[in-house]
Amino acid sequence: MELIRLDQVSLWRRTQEEFSYDLKRTVLSIFEGKYRQPIKKCVLERVDLAVNAHEKIGIVGANGSGKSTLLKVICGILLPTSGRVRVRGNVAPLLELGAGFDPEISVLDNIILYGVLLGFSRREMRRHAMKILAFAELEDCALLPVKGLSSGMVARLGFAVATDVQPDILILDEVLSVGDERFKQKCKQRIESFWQSNTTILVVSHDLEFMKQSCERILWLHKGRVGFLGEPEEAIAHYLESSQMN
Amino acid sequence: MTIASRQGIDWPGIRRYWDLLYVLAARHLKVRYRGSFLGIYWSLLNPLIMTGLYTAIFGSVFASYYDNSVLNYVLAAFTGLVVLNFYAAATTQSVIMVVWSGALLNKIRLPVSVFPLSMVAANVFQFSVGVFPLLALVTLLISHNPLNVILLAFPILSLILVCLGVAFFVSALYVFFRDLHYFYEVVVFVLGLSTPIFYPAAIVPDNIKRILVFNPLYPILESLRQIVLSGEMPEFYLVAHALLNGLLIATIGWLFFRSWRSEFMDLL
Repeated sequence: MELIRLDQVSLWRRTQEEFSYDLKRTVLSIFEGKYRQPIKKCVLERVDLAVNAHEKIGIVGANGSGKSTLLKVICGILLPTSGRVRVRGNVAPLLELGAGFDPEISVLDNIILYGVLLGFSRREMRRHAMKILAFAELEDCALLPVKGLSSGMVARLGFAVATDVQPDILILDEVLSVGDERFKQKCKQRIESFWQSNTTILVVSHDLEFMKQSCERILWLHKGRVGFLGEPEEAIAHYLESSQMN
Repeated sequence: MTIASRQGIDWPGIRRYWDLLYVLAARHLKVRYRGSFLGIYWSLLNPLIMTGLYTAIFGSVFASYYDNSVLNYVLAAFTGLVVLNFYAAATTQSVIMVVWSGALLNKIRLPVSVFPLSMVAANVFQFSVGVFPLLALVTLLISHNPLNVILLAFPILSLILVCLGVAFFVSALYVFFRDLHYFYEVVVFVLGLSTPIFYPAAIVPDNIKRILVFNPLYPILESLRQIVLSGEMPEFYLVAHALLNGLLIATIGWLFFRSWRSEFMDLL
């Protein structure tokens, strides 16, 4: 069964340096006749991708080649300018652990807030809160505000909430293990168990050895276009070749 | 916003939207009142102190416009401050909400509209446990008519609708113009001063009064005062005017928000 399908997906975004956040300046530039339409840049160009259930797909490419953007399009965070995206099943994005935590409120409140943001219901989150606290080993800190935790603890909490329920589609952006050595082992085990199970996984990583071993197919993105999609060995060879040329 | 699919109403979508609204509004309230002794009742202190101040300065001068009763002046000033404070808090706090959610929107797929809405919702909750009981009590004591307490719902609903529309509009505009909040502070100040809160509407010259009618807070405040102070049924015209104003502003705000929504992500 096909879970993800991208047909000729292109994405144009406004370039960062064009941002004018100023009401005064914009009004003035209109009066002076200097107002310009914002310039847009092509970030993804006619990307085709089909992912079947249970597949593990790796994405490699140079910095700025559109890897994270592609994941965002699959998550539905960014809408494509043209083309079609179809995703079946619930997607758990691990784009960045801990985005969504509020430093001012307590750990327990944050678990529920973050869980609801990720798409779980409030009732589910209240039921799972203790289990999540236990996994993150933060039972003693449940009522502390998150700003009182160390950054490693926050990362642990983020990992625990985001991986609490096994999703149909797991999206990993370079965040495979967090915390101290002991907790890293725990993370590895949990990701390992996802890997063994039927979950469909998309992973972006610069760890080419890991990608070669664990992915069934690899997508090489080159300047927003699909450079190659297929056998891991071959994809990585293409990627390395192009980076040596520059 | 949750949108009905072709098969009918999208219940899981609505549930999710409600859950998001709940946790976000709860978050705003918790952050605002964490570690404060009076908690939500701080919100009562401001209108009470200001009412005292206005009464001390203007009470005796303007009492003649309120049947020579200082008490009536006190109540008029209090109702006015309640309306203005709610409007000012709900809308100025909403200005930054879309931009505030930017980091989240870049990581997780979420309906953008829930962020300004959650700030208005937090203020509605604060209003309903803080000021509203006092307002209902005063209404009951003055009018001796429980029906008037129920009628309070109309001006309050109109006020919430106005705030929603403005919150959608300004929070969307702030994405494009990050200096908007300085400008909006002035707007709120002008709006507050042009609303007859501590002065009677009767002292405003006729040609200015014609402009005053366009202030969306004016019909809300007038109908609220009729319900709280007179004990009679409010004029139907005034209540309808306030409600239609609210619906209109909410719709316009939402339409602007929706048409700009696709541009947000590139700027957050």
